[in-house]
Amino acid sequence: MKSKSLAVVAAVAAVLIFSALTFAHHGTAAYDTSNALSFKGTVTEFRFINPHCQVYFDVKNDKGEVEHWQGELTAPNKLARAGWTKHSLNVGDQITVSGFAGKYGGHSLWIRKLVGPDGQSMQLFED
Amino acid sequence: MRSVNWMLVVLASLAIPCASYAQYGAGKALPPSGNNGEAAKPNAAAAPAPTHDLSGVWMMRNPPGSNRGYTNYTYTDPKTDPPSLTAWGEEKFKEAKDSNGGNYTLDQTNDPVLTKCYPPGTPRVYFHPYPFEFVQGPKFMLMVFEYDHTMRRIYTDGRALPTDPDASWMGYSVGHWDGNTTFVVDTVGFNEKTWLDRLGHAHSEQLHVTERFRRVDRDHLQIDITMADPKALAKPWISTFYYENRPDWELGEISCSGDYLDFNNFESFSFKKKDEAPK
Repeated sequence: MKSKSLAVVAAVAAVLIFSALTFAHHGTAAYDTSNALSFKGTVTEFRFINPHCQVYFDVKNDKGEVEHWQGELTAPNKLARAGWTKHSLNVGDQITVSGFAGKYGGHSLWIRKLVGPDGQSMQLFED
Repeated sequence: MRSVNWMLVVLASLAIPCASYAQYGAGKALPPSGNNGEAAKPNAAAAPAPTHDLSGVWMMRNPPGSNRGYTNYTYTDPKTDPPSLTAWGEEKFKEAKDSNGGNYTLDQTNDPVLTKCYPPGTPRVYFHPYPFEFVQGPKFMLMVFEYDHTMRRIYTDGRALPTDPDASWMGYSVGHWDGNTTFVVDTVGFNEKTWLDRLGHAHSEQLHVTERFRRVDRDHLQIDITMADPKALAKPWISTFYYENRPDWELGEISCSGDYLDFNNFESFSFKKKDEAPK
């Protein structure tokens, strides 16, 4: 939030890239792809399920309050081909996620980048 | 700080679009996805295509240097090269509220695949961003799609296309080899319940799909698709899709009912009832 102008530049660049990428099975109409967000959080649940894997995580906001977030990844088959298993994320893991939030409020994120508990960026799609 | 990091990530992606990345590696920060993922890598030393053999797992990829984003949801660029529709086709298209094209959310769309788990039909099945596998038998070829256990059986025993086919979801297919590496498939016998693409272009029971599967080398397959339907299309709709062989992949399970339909129920806040989005 401190660098809004940079965020806008980044968001524009992000849209240029993402606009050409695959749409989720339900499309992207529900997400605000003009506003990229990034959080540090703690995993509270990981669902390795179709059609899209779900990561639930808690984030501490600027007021020190805990927000509950739900993040969406791609299909488990795709993640499996990228090396994931249902144990790749576990409750309590510290992660950094970046992506686009739902347009209509609520703490829902279409995850486009995820740094895992070991500090490494996790591959989110098959080669 | 968050914003700066994010911008760096994005700029890095722009700067090194062809960087490779390993599992959990520090390579490309924002990897591509699905049909329109990283373009097929040029392979100067590609092995030649085997004779009369398409067996194996194939994944859609655009050709090198291409950025055909529309191939995630339709056959030709909707802005510069839309299909020629009949009046009936136009009318049906106006009724469509697509979601995969990004125009409607899950609770607004009338996409028959997303709302009812109808089989996607042929050739819409190619838009699902998952691989398919060719399994060759002596008298038929199977196309096994990862999405929803979808299967096509293509008869290669020399039989003719039926002249009065029963209506079906994926159609009735016969195929033959044209030379050593091109497999030609004709498909008829469709119902009118499926869309041609993810934008909602309609077809009728008169749809006739011709596919030329050209294995240009061992690792690459090009599918020339021609859709003819005098009721829906004023002239045939033609496109070419590009696939890469994935010898190390195995197909997994993706069920529509039980996975996709249930997902609508448990999936939370972002897809709930909202104002109608403009088309």
